[in-house]
This record gives sequence, C-alpha cells and structure tokens, in this order.
Amino acid sequence: MPLQMPHGDNLIAPYRVLDLTDGKGVFCTKLLADYGADVVRIEPPSGDPGRSKGPFPNDEPGVESSAYYLFYNTNKKSITLNLETDLGQSIFKQLAAKADVVVESLPVGYLKSLRLDYDALREANPGLIMASISPFGQTGPWKDFKSSDLIAMAASGFMQITGEPDEPPVRQGNEQSHFAGAQYAAVAVMGALYYRDMLSGEGQYIDVSQQEALITYYTDAHPALAWRQMGQNVTRVGTNSTLVIPLGAFPCQDGWICAGVITPREWEALAAWIYEVTGNEEILDEKYKGGNQERAPYIDVITALFLEFTTRFTSEELFHEGQKRNLVFLPVTDVADLLQDEQLEASHLWTQLNHQKVGELKYPLGIFNSEDFSPARSAAPSLGQDNAAIYGGELGLTFQEMAGLRTAKVI
Amino acid sequence: MAKRALEGIRVVELGPYVALPLTGRILASMGAEVIKVETNKVLDEMAFIPAWSKGAGQPDYQRHKKRITLDVRTDEGRDLLLQLLKVSDVFMTNFRRSILSRWGVDFPEVRAARPDIVNMWQTGLGGNGPYYTYKSYGILVQHMSGVSMMSGSPGAPPVAVNSSYSDYHTGVFQPMAIIAALMKRGQEGKPTTMESSIFRSGAVTAGPAILDYQLNNRLPERRNNRDASAAPHGVYQCQGEDRYCAIAVDGDEQWASFCQALGNPDWTQDARFATAFNRLGNQDELDRLVGEWTIGFTAEEVMYKLQQAGVPASIVPQGQDLHDSEHLKARDFYRDTNYYVAERGKHASQWEEGSSIAWSMPFSMSKTPVEFGKYTNIGEDNSYVFGELLGLSPEEITRLSKKEVIY
Repeated sequence: MPLQMPHGDNLIAPYRVLDLTDGKGVFCTKLLADYGADVVRIEPPSGDPGRSKGPFPNDEPGVESSAYYLFYNTNKKSITLNLETDLGQSIFKQLAAKADVVVESLPVGYLKSLRLDYDALREANPGLIMASISPFGQTGPWKDFKSSDLIAMAASGFMQITGEPDEPPVRQGNEQSHFAGAQYAAVAVMGALYYRDMLSGEGQYIDVSQQEALITYYTDAHPALAWRQMGQNVTRVGTNSTLVIPLGAFPCQDGWICAGVITPREWEALAAWIYEVTGNEEILDEKYKGGNQERAPYIDVITALFLEFTTRFTSEELFHEGQKRNLVFLPVTDVADLLQDEQLEASHLWTQLNHQKVGELKYPLGIFNSEDFSPARSAAPSLGQDNAAIYGGELGLTFQEMAGLRTAKVI
Repeated sequence: MAKRALEGIRVVELGPYVALPLTGRILASMGAEVIKVETNKVLDEMAFIPAWSKGAGQPDYQRHKKRITLDVRTDEGRDLLLQLLKVSDVFMTNFRRSILSRWGVDFPEVRAARPDIVNMWQTGLGGNGPYYTYKSYGILVQHMSGVSMMSGSPGAPPVAVNSSYSDYHTGVFQPMAIIAALMKRGQEGKPTTMESSIFRSGAVTAGPAILDYQLNNRLPERRNNRDASAAPHGVYQCQGEDRYCAIAVDGDEQWASFCQALGNPDWTQDARFATAFNRLGNQDELDRLVGEWTIGFTAEEVMYKLQQAGVPASIVPQGQDLHDSEHLKARDFYRDTNYYVAERGKHASQWEEGSSIAWSMPFSMSKTPVEFGKYTNIGEDNSYVFGELLGLSPEEITRLSKKEVIY
C-alpha cells in the first residue's frame, strides 16, 4: 500500500525525525537529514553540548559557531526543550505523537525514567519508529558501562589492530566512533520505514550496539575467528598489511604513497615494473607469484625490494604510472589535499552551504551521485530557531504559552 | 514466521570484495532476496580469506544470499542475467562501466530490461572526474581520505588499521540509499540510478576537520590517544603481554570518582592534578602515575574497578576476549556457521565443508526479524534461481553448465 508522500528533489521523503542523539547518533540523523528527512534536533535550553565543542573560528567559542556542531547538524531544525521537567515531557510526547521516527543515544534506561521510552510513546502513535544507539546495546552485562570515543574504539578491539606492533594501541583520529553505529541505525530506520509504509503500517523499536557495529568495520582482520581457528590473537602490524603483500603506505621521494597488490595479475605487472626499474631479477622469482597467501612467507624480502623501488619516485609519478599499468597506487592525503582534490570536486562530494554566523563553507554531502536526487542544502540551525514554527505553528501553543515555557526554562 | 522488513524485494549483486557484498548481506538480513552472481572461472580473491583458514572469513559477507554461478561474459550468460534483472528490484555492481558495457549489462541495458529498477553503481574513486577510471582498494582509502594522517603522533608515519576500513562505510551507506530509493519508487513511481564511491565515503569521515581547515587554515593536531580537554585519556599497560585498558576521565566529577576507585593515593591529591587544566598541563607525569597503578592489575580488573565507580574505561580486547566475551554472548553476536574450504584451481562445488563463526547484525528490530540465515556455497542456488525463478528446464541447466555458462 504505497503512500503518496510529498517529495521534491530529495531521496528520502520529509519524514519527521526527532533527534535526541549525542556523538553516537548525530551522524545517523545527519544522514537522514542530508538526504531529505525533516529532522528536528531537540536541545536543552542551554544548547546541545556539541555546540561547546571545538574547533571554533579563530578559536573563539560561540554557541552558533562550533565546527563540530556545524558538521554534524546540516539540514536539521533546532528546538529547545528541557526533558527533565513534567511540562517538557508532555510536550515531547505531543511531538512524538506526530513524528515518524525518534533517534536517541541517551544512557540505557534514561528515557524510561522519564516515561518517554518506546512503549510509552507508541501508545499515542503505533506507527512510531524509534532507534536507540548505545555503546554496548540495550541488553547484556555491559549495557550500563560508560563510554566515549576512546572507550568505543578500545572496546570494539579496533585499537588492538591500529598502530605499530611494538607500541601501544592507537585510536584513529577525529572521532571515528561517530560513524559505524550511526550508519547501521540509519539503515535500520529506513528498513523500518519501508516496512511501515510499504508493507504493514506498523512502527517498531531498533536497538543498535555501537561496539558491535565497530567490530564489523574491521571484519577482514578476523580477530575472533583467528582465535577460534588458530588459537592466535591478531595485533597491530604497523602501516603495512600482513594480509595482502605488498599493501600499505610506503615512503617515496616526497613523502608517502600507498599501494596494494591483490590479484595474481597485479603481482605480475608490479614485478615486471620493479624489474624494469631496478634490474633485480629476484623479484621475478616463481615462488612469489599467485595470490597473497603465496607471498606471505616472503613478506620481508618483498617489502625490501618494493621500498628500493618506491623511493626512486615521487608520489604523483607512482600514482599515475601505476594506474597506467593497472596497479593500485594512491596518494596519502591530509585534509588540505582533500579540499583541493580534483577528483572529489569533479565527483560532486562538496556542497557549498551558507551559515548566517560562520558564512560559506564546503561540506561533504555528496556520498551518492544521481541525476534522480540531490542532497538538501541548509547549514546547521541556530539554537531554537524553529521553536516558533513547531511549538506555535504545529502544536498550536499561543504566544503567551510559549513565553510562559520560556520563563519556566522549559524551552 | 513474522513478516520481514524488506519482504518481496529482490536484489542482484554482481561484484567482489568487501563493500558490495556487505551491502547485500545487510539487505538480506532484513528480508530482501539477494542473489549473488559469481563464476568459478574468476573467483573473488575474498573467497580465499583468511590466509590461515581459506574461506572461513566469507560467511561474514555472504550469509543469507542465494548464490549462483553465471559467466556474464558469454552471450547466453548475459541474456540470463538480463532475464533475472527483469524480475528484480535492485541491481548493484562494482564493475567499471566500460566492463559492464562490454558485457552488455550497463545501466541503460538494465533499465531497458526492467524500467523501474534501482541501480547502485559502487565505484572506487568516483564515477566521473579525472581519475574515474583509476582502480582503488578500500583498505588503502584510509590513507587517501585524510584519516591516517590525523591519527597517531606528530611526525609519525600514517597510522593504519589492518583492515579495509573505508569499504565498510560504503558498504553500510549503500543499503540506506537503496531502501530509500525503493520507497521513492513505490511512492512516486520514479526509478533511481545512483553512484557511490569509497573515496568519497572515506573523505566524509575526515569530519569537522574539513571545516576547521576552511575556517582556520590548519590541519588537525595529531594527538595520539589524548584529548583536547580531558585527562587522563589514553591506554595504559596492564598485567600480561600486549594488554591495555583505555581510560577516559572527562571533568572534575569523573576525576573524583577515578581517584576514589584508586583508593585516593597521595599523588591524586596533588595540586598538579586538581583541575582539568592542570591535569592537561601535567599529562606526562599523570600518565606515568596512572600507568604505575594499572600495571598492578589485569586489564579486566582495571576496567571493572573504574566502571563500577562510573569512570569510562575498557579493555582493548584481543580476539580471544571478543570470542569469549560474556557480554557479546549475551547478545548472541558471534554465531556458529558452516563454510567451504576454498582451494584455488578446484571447482567450488568440490570444496569441503568446515565450521567457523560469523557476526550477526549489530542491530535488532522489535517487529521484523534481522536474520542470520543460511550460508550456501558458490553456485548452490543455481537450480532455485535458474529453474524455479527463470523457468529453465533441468536439461537446459545441464546444457548451460556443460557449456560453462552456468559455471
């Protein structure tokens, strides 16, 4: 029973999503908003803690200018609401009664303590979909454990395989824990919307574990499987893989180049090129041919021969000449390189958005390219900018009632 | 059986590696029928992972799919693929368009076979632009997306995760867009063709640093495990070989709980550590002292002591810890699975069966099942797909198998 929904040029219909997330889920609601959902970020009257997180322009903190908040809240609306007051809870219930989706990443059991858990909210709205993103899921002995970006990256085992073998585990930069759980939550929310609007009319509750989501993001290191099949623990291997040989980041004349040889045919092409350049016949030896498993015992010899080769070229030379030979050589970049990259520019990663306080900036909204839709184009909201439209326009509160709520610090 | 979220959706998956198969597995777990097209003539290199137990790593990517063998490079193979697409809702592939075009299954041909199909074209570096023909591998894109140069310590080599990290972003972005496109088709009658890119997916994860560079013309500081405003914040060595506990103390309240969990030793009362500002300024000394405490315990002991006091802390689990984790067992995360022992040069139907484990989806849904499903071998579902679905007679399937079209 397909519904007729207003659509515009977006991929996702303007489903109303109430956003009660922090770093564990803020990227989920961003994804939904960037592709068309009508996401309303619900912030405490003092503002989402994300607004006080840097970096800031010229390092001057301001409630409207956090780059962290700007990045993760594109295309959302903002209202203020104090959920810890009775009136705040009753207003939230009214909002949820009309919403399609609630996404939250509060401590397990917190919403229940406010009587705003899924069972309470669905009474007035059986079609409501609610997704909870928590560090360890809603069940199990670790469900109440405290977490953070570092703790999430540790607890998933990600850090165990990140960094140099003789040094402590390292977390990847820039809070990578924001992505995996949030992405799965966005998938599950879309699946639940499909089930509701295309098949059944029913809403449902979704439990996402950030720990489990992160574990799946390094599946090919096979930590648990290696223990089960071999009684061995995988650990850090440094910048180069031990799974695929050669593969990783290698020094070249002007910095770093990354390269990976996966298929037997690629190995043939690489060995021929190295021989051409170095004249060293060792690289052509039969025993190195075939898949990675065949090369695994010779990793040290092969790496040495490879380094003797890469250090003769610049990154650009290896990148283009390698690709001509159907080999994967790629530059190692920083953020400045990304912003200038011709390929990212040409394949429409960036959208220019204007924010009233911070001005025009390039945002990476173009995860997908299509002639059939484009991402939405609003910068992050200012604090409470949609209070009047939503409390007044949608819930029908009078000007006086809203003033009263403001005085009582509810909104 | 409960109705499934994506009941009635049929997906055709054509292509190897990590991201695309992961997208297929996620869609299958929510109830789509995902048909994976492979051929014994050119097997996915991933069929042979991991090196030490070849094939045991495949169920993570391929469970719950219908797996058929079809050489789409032959005329009859191409025709069969188009027939299959005619009765499917989604076509997803990571082959280059020049190759798809040579085979006669590029998106216009697919659209002609099934006018309202959703097409997902997964690329490495992007579907257009100066390097669109260039090859890439997801495991390297972590270096190309700015992430490895913002990890680790200043001056250190790019910091790598020993996995195809960026592939997973693409693999999990895609099912969201595919489901959204199926709804758009259902609600508006509009079909969608879209392209995704592992490079762009990875670049998104550079995060707020992208805005910081534009605002302040600076690159993110490489802080290793430290934080800009919280200390102690890092991993600390514990008893045993390669054993660490991560600890993140944010704010004075957590610091007080931390000190209490340690039994308030004298050094915790030191003025050098009294405020967050002081703790940040004296971090080297603070880390040394915290490390002196943690080394006296196992990583689990440190974690439990701190978590009981409300301080964020976690072991850095090794494979054994994940495999044996009481928490993950309670959530039924890792499950037993069969697999097929991959042997190069041997037809997959001759591979022996073995036992392995695979993870189950990191989310659950209250009304619709998120299914672990079955793990079938390459080509095991040929008779269902070619016979039942496309109506080929057993004789015709045998003929095409002998001709190495269904092979």
